[in-house]
Amino acid sequence: MDFRLSEDTLLLKNSAAKFLKEKCTGSFVRELLKDETGFSRELWREMADLGWFGVIYEEAYGGSEASFLDWFVLFEEIGKVVLPSPFFCSAVLAGLIINETEDLDLKRTYLPPIIQGEKILTLALHDESGRCDFGRPGVTAEKSKESDYFLNGTTILVPYAHVADQILVLAGTKDPGAQGSTLFRVDGKSDGMKKTPLEIISGEKAFEVTMENVRVSSQNRIGEAGHGATYVEKIWPRAMILKCGEMLGGLQRTMEMTLDYVKERTQFGRPLGSFQVVQHYCVDMATYLESARLISYQAASLIGEQIPCEKEIAMAKAWCGEAYKKSTWIAHELHGGIGFTEEYDLHPYYKHAKASELMIGDSWFHRSKVADEMGI
Amino acid sequence: MKAELGDKPPLVVLGGLCEGNSREFSLKLAEKGWLGLTWPKKYGGQERTYVDKMILMEELLKVNAPIQYHFLADRQVGPAIIKFGSDWQKEFFLPRIVGAEEGGMFCLLFSEPNAGSDLAAASTSAVKDGDSYVLNGQKVWTTGGHEAAYGWLLAKTNFDSSVRRHETHSEFIVDMKTPGVTVRPLINIAGVHSFNEVFFDEVKIHRKFLVGQENAGFKQIMAQMDYERAGIERLLQNYHVYRRLLDHIRQMDKTTGFYGWVRDTMAQMEIEFSIGRLLCYYTAWIVDQGRSPTTEAALCKAFCTQFEQRLNDFATRVVGPVSQIRAGAKCAAFEGELALAYLWSPSYTLQGGSVEILKNIVALRGLGLPAK
Repeated sequence: MDFRLSEDTLLLKNSAAKFLKEKCTGSFVRELLKDETGFSRELWREMADLGWFGVIYEEAYGGSEASFLDWFVLFEEIGKVVLPSPFFCSAVLAGLIINETEDLDLKRTYLPPIIQGEKILTLALHDESGRCDFGRPGVTAEKSKESDYFLNGTTILVPYAHVADQILVLAGTKDPGAQGSTLFRVDGKSDGMKKTPLEIISGEKAFEVTMENVRVSSQNRIGEAGHGATYVEKIWPRAMILKCGEMLGGLQRTMEMTLDYVKERTQFGRPLGSFQVVQHYCVDMATYLESARLISYQAASLIGEQIPCEKEIAMAKAWCGEAYKKSTWIAHELHGGIGFTEEYDLHPYYKHAKASELMIGDSWFHRSKVADEMGI
Repeated sequence: MKAELGDKPPLVVLGGLCEGNSREFSLKLAEKGWLGLTWPKKYGGQERTYVDKMILMEELLKVNAPIQYHFLADRQVGPAIIKFGSDWQKEFFLPRIVGAEEGGMFCLLFSEPNAGSDLAAASTSAVKDGDSYVLNGQKVWTTGGHEAAYGWLLAKTNFDSSVRRHETHSEFIVDMKTPGVTVRPLINIAGVHSFNEVFFDEVKIHRKFLVGQENAGFKQIMAQMDYERAGIERLLQNYHVYRRLLDHIRQMDKTTGFYGWVRDTMAQMEIEFSIGRLLCYYTAWIVDQGRSPTTEAALCKAFCTQFEQRLNDFATRVVGPVSQIRAGAKCAAFEGELALAYLWSPSYTLQGGSVEILKNIVALRGLGLPAK
């Protein structure tokens, strides 16, 4: 039993931490959230050069073939600075899905540019009501006589759709003999596609994408018709754990910021941190942090060792979502009025926590998976 | 380690921190070399890791093994004697503990009516008298005081009021049969005789029973506290309730809305239980790295004990009105174990350091927050 990280992983983690600390100050991040593009192209290129997008992918595609745990610690560092970027939707969601298929052409065409940061891809899963039913998505795909498809419908909360070269869309098909959803790769600049920006709590760029007879070649179909959901389902646990890594990093920074604050701020002639209630709130945060760390690293390590761990992953997502969120509540309480200003660096974490919590699925959803695994 | 443990006979639960006092059972463990597992070989130990010890404890607790006879001595008295004891004390007591011999059971004499969380206020005195110390005072909440052969005592040895309170106490070993020692039962809210009051009236003990340095009692005790708080018993006292609850849930009608709540909450319990296990093993691992687990053990104990309280309460809500029926009636839930567990619950977050004290420790020592 060893709770230590390997030297290589530690090296990656520390160098990422240093890099992000220098580049992503609080004001830098807060400005990005107000910016039209919503992420820094310069930083994006630097992250690509550092090989961050290809950590777990095969060298043949430009990846590093490193362990899953290495990717996890990277996301932990990114979470600490709450960096808005298409890293997750492109290199993780779209990348893992493409990597999961047996379509070599698809992989050769898209994995290298994703890994090099030259192309940004994203994934559209939510229907108009925000529901994420992989089996019954909000977009429909109808096959034409020429074996092209026509996509119709609305999908919302599509991350970074405005800069996406391709959007992976789950669409409901009624192909004879292939009921269910099908995964399509749709050009981001398709005719008939309208993208409307949504203003969301976290401030990250997300879009409502409506499709009106968007023509998509059957070559753009990923995998078998009617089986699109399986790709998403397969990669979802890994994606969730990387999100947990982000949450863990954000939680840590939230706590550090709060500890610094209560040590500095004085009222009634003494530091806030000398009051017992304040101390106990901080210990509650520390407990959330330690528990989130242990349970998410457990899942990440198991994935890295390719040991089946559906239950451990569900436990981690269920716990981390709540732990991070509740820690940001404590942080706001302890910061008082100053923490409630746009200028102060706390709110991006509060917002990030809620966005991460709600990201498919929230803790109830994952507890249900745990219950499944328990046979109850 | 797990492979070595094999099967154990099913045992009756008697309630309390560790189920049942059976020297016979402790002897069986001793024969396997499972007492003093982490101790140096020269003292009869196996020099195994704290993680291994935790694995052993986990398996014993899961079947409610009667480990009370050796539990306290094995957990903290032995290690304290190894660290601070004299040669005589090591020769005399360690074999008795590690061998589960007659006279090997210890109780802890720390708390007093005026010294609970504020242990430094302990006023039981040990006054030097030639080759002896004379003890006067009173201890309380002494678990197993009525059965133990020896007591591990914290008493005041320096009466100079200008000296810091944390530098005025010493640790002693007391033969519970020494004239002047009176043990009076205290019945807890579960109706169980587990702890006691222990009175000292002019109790004369030889100075060979002083452990370590005079007036260094608090320094010595701090390490013990970490061992006391690092154990997995804080998480597994109610494992039998957990397992039976799971069985009960599996038999429930799954079509009701109530079941939806039960299912969700039980999954939460499973997550918290897993976290508790990770925290415990992480703490044990810290000890094995040679580091002091003070804040980890405190955080772990606070979490685990509160979990156990939530679990017992949840179980009663799932099972319903029969959960309040005690043993003896056929209709009692889990043969009365659930009612008993609920009755013991308030003590979990109090014994061995209340959650509030533990949080203070984490805040001040772990997070570096200012005391004033």
